[in-house]
Amino acid sequence: MMKYDAIIVGAGPAGSVTARFAAESGAKVLLIDRRPEIGIPVLCGEGISQRVDKWNMLEGSDWIANKMDGAKIYSPDDTMVTLSKEMAGNETGYVVYRDRFDKELARQAGKAGAELLLKTEAVDLIKKKDKIAGVKVNQFGESFEIESDVVVACDGVESKVGKWAGINTTVKPVDLETCFQYTLENVNWPEDYAEFYLGKKRAPGGYVWVFPKGNGEFNVGIGVLASLSSPGKPKALLDQFIDNHPGLKKGSPVRMLTGAVSVAKPVETVRDNVLLVGDAARHADSITGGGLTTSLEGGKIAGEVIGDAVEQQTFDKEFLESYEKRWKQVFGQKLLRNYVVKEIMLDMDDKTLNMLADSLKDYKFEEFSTLSLVKALVLKHPTLLMKLKPLMKLSEKSKENK
Amino acid sequence: MGKPKAVVNVHDCLSCGGCVSVCPVDAIIMKNKVAFVHSEKCTSCELCVNTCPVGAISMED
Repeated sequence: MMKYDAIIVGAGPAGSVTARFAAESGAKVLLIDRRPEIGIPVLCGEGISQRVDKWNMLEGSDWIANKMDGAKIYSPDDTMVTLSKEMAGNETGYVVYRDRFDKELARQAGKAGAELLLKTEAVDLIKKKDKIAGVKVNQFGESFEIESDVVVACDGVESKVGKWAGINTTVKPVDLETCFQYTLENVNWPEDYAEFYLGKKRAPGGYVWVFPKGNGEFNVGIGVLASLSSPGKPKALLDQFIDNHPGLKKGSPVRMLTGAVSVAKPVETVRDNVLLVGDAARHADSITGGGLTTSLEGGKIAGEVIGDAVEQQTFDKEFLESYEKRWKQVFGQKLLRNYVVKEIMLDMDDKTLNMLADSLKDYKFEEFSTLSLVKALVLKHPTLLMKLKPLMKLSEKSKENK
Repeated sequence: MGKPKAVVNVHDCLSCGGCVSVCPVDAIIMKNKVAFVHSEKCTSCELCVNTCPVGAISMED
C-alpha cells in the first residue's frame, strides 16, 4: 500500500505550486492529474501579473509569449481608456503560453521531490473512521487506493474533492463566467497592449479579451455571466465580435477552447485532512476572472502549512486553518472587495459605462489621487456621482478597515 | 411521461466542465472527456443548458 504525507489532486498551477512547497518543506508528496499531458487543454486567457517575477517560481522565459505595455479598455460605445503598465501591470503584465507555464511549475514540483502520476483520476476519498485518509483513483482501467494524511483539492472550478469532503462547491450561474476562446494566427493588429471590450450586448456580465502573444498570434476570448447567457451564446457573440473587428477578422483560428471561471466568493478551504487551493477554492478574481496569481500565492501557503503539519504530525482542521488565515491576509480582502465591485458593475447600464469611460479617457493615471479621480469623473458627467456612490462607500469602508 | 432531461451532444462538447460546476444536484460528470448527465438525478432545471458556451446541451424527453 502506497502512503504519502500529501496527495494533491490536479496538476494545474495551484496543484504544482502546493506540491513544490510541501515537498520543499520535507513532506512526501504525490501530485496526480487525470490528463495525459500537463497544461493541455489550456483553459485560460493566458494573462498574468508581472508580480510573478518577484516570486521566483518559474525559471527561464520560454513560458512568456509577450510583455504588455498596459491595457486598453473599450466601453460599450468604444470610448477607450488606456491604463499604463504601472496601473494595469498588477493584472495584465505577461501573456503566457499556459501549457509551458503549467509544465514549468510541474517540473519545479518534481525537482523539489514531489512524485507525479498522469492519467490518474481521483474518483473518491478514502475514509477511515469518518476521517479522510487518502484517495481512490482510476488509472488505465485499474482502481486502487492511495493513502495520505492530507488531500489537497486543486481540481478546478468543478472540484469534486471539495464536494466529497462535504464542502458545497456548486457555483450559481450568477457567479460563473462561461467562456469561449480562439487562438488566432496571421493577425495584423498592435501587439503592445492587452485589450478588454465591455458592453451588455457584446458580452453580458463579462468582457471580450484580445491578448497579443506576438508574431501575429492572439488569444481572443469572451466571458459571459452564465445567468445572462443562453445556449451557445458565448461562441456566437465572439464570432460576431471577430467578424466586426478590423484586425482580427482576417485571423486564422488554430485553437478553440471553452472554459468556466468562477466569479464567486471563496468557499471554506479547510477541513480535517483536506485543503482547497486555486479555482477549487474559488480564488479567481471576480472582476477580471484571473486566478493565476492567487493560485500561486495560495499554493505556496498551502505547501508550507502542509510542511508544518507533517513536522507536527497534526492534520486536523484546527491546525490546517493557518492556511486559510494566511491566504486571507494575503489576498482575502481583495477577493471580497472585487466581488462587491463586480456586483455594482453588473448593475451599471451601458450608458453609465460610456460616461465613466468618457470621463476617464484623458485622465492621467500617473498623477492618480482619489480627489483628482473623483473630479475627473464628476466634472464631465455630474450624474455619475449618484451611480458611483456604492463604489465610493466601498472605498471608504476599506480605508476604515486598514 | 417524465419531464425532459438534459442531454449532452457528445460531438459538440469541448469538455470545459462549466455544466458540472453549475449543476445543483451533481448530476453531471466528465466521462471519456465529455460531459455526461445522469438523467435519473437531473431535475430539469436547465442551468447547464444555458451555461454551455457552445450550446451542446439540450432538453430531451
